[in-house]
Amino acid sequence: MSQVIAGEDVYAIAQDIFASMVDGDVGTIVPWEGPPPGWQEPVTAWVDLQGDWAGRASLTTETSTAHALARALLGFGEDEPVERADLVDAFGEVVNVVGGNVKSLLETTGSLGLPQVADVDPGLPGGLVLSEMVLAWHGRALELVVRAVL
Amino acid sequence: MRALVVDDSRTMRVIVARALRTLGFETDDAEHGQAALDKLAATGPVDLVCVDWNMPVMDGLEFVTAVRKDRSLRGMTIMMVTTESEQSQIVRALAAGAHEYLIKPFTVDAIRDKLELLGLVAAGEPV
Repeated sequence: MSQVIAGEDVYAIAQDIFASMVDGDVGTIVPWEGPPPGWQEPVTAWVDLQGDWAGRASLTTETSTAHALARALLGFGEDEPVERADLVDAFGEVVNVVGGNVKSLLETTGSLGLPQVADVDPGLPGGLVLSEMVLAWHGRALELVVRAVL
Repeated sequence: MRALVVDDSRTMRVIVARALRTLGFETDDAEHGQAALDKLAATGPVDLVCVDWNMPVMDGLEFVTAVRKDRSLRGMTIMMVTTESEQSQIVRALAAGAHEYLIKPFTVDAIRDKLELLGLVAAGEPV
């Protein structure tokens, strides 16, 4: 079963998460302007939505941006090193909250899987892209994609 | 006031604990429900437990149920802090014995509002 998930709703979720969890300010995440980013050292976090409606929310960015995001979330200093475990936890938690809020947009019931993080975006074979956007967080690109299982 | 933050995500434990400290709480944390029960058995009850729903070993709902069965822990206030936003889930948590329910993401103001309702923070107290 497929449902419509509006890009503006997903954008609103991203804005809310970054305002309340990351920066404590409105408007720190905005649409990316210009050509799509060419990833050099990407990292992707994703979480699966299971149940009457199945799909996946994923977030891709440069590893350096994920480090910056982890520092912001964990309250680290600007130059403080980020262990891989902290990066996985922090970046995974962001996509976990994205997934939970996407789930709340659905009229169906279901559950959320555990967030996963990898250097390669696994996509969702056979999945349908419902929402895809590139966002800028302090000038750094993040790609947020919501896919449905067909 | 003492608070225990229970979440399998270190990031979320840091965020919730940081918010609670700005509201005057001393905080401790645990990675899942069983670890939280072990901590409470060692240190005694706290004033507030903020607990996630989806966790390995023992999830938030199991934790709430276990706490409510333990006479020595019955006085504790429990707030679920989770991405689970379905009405049926909220009803289940409250029925199991949680006092409040906060959906991620949240602001410090949102936590303060909930704690004001629970009488754990004075109304209108600046952050």
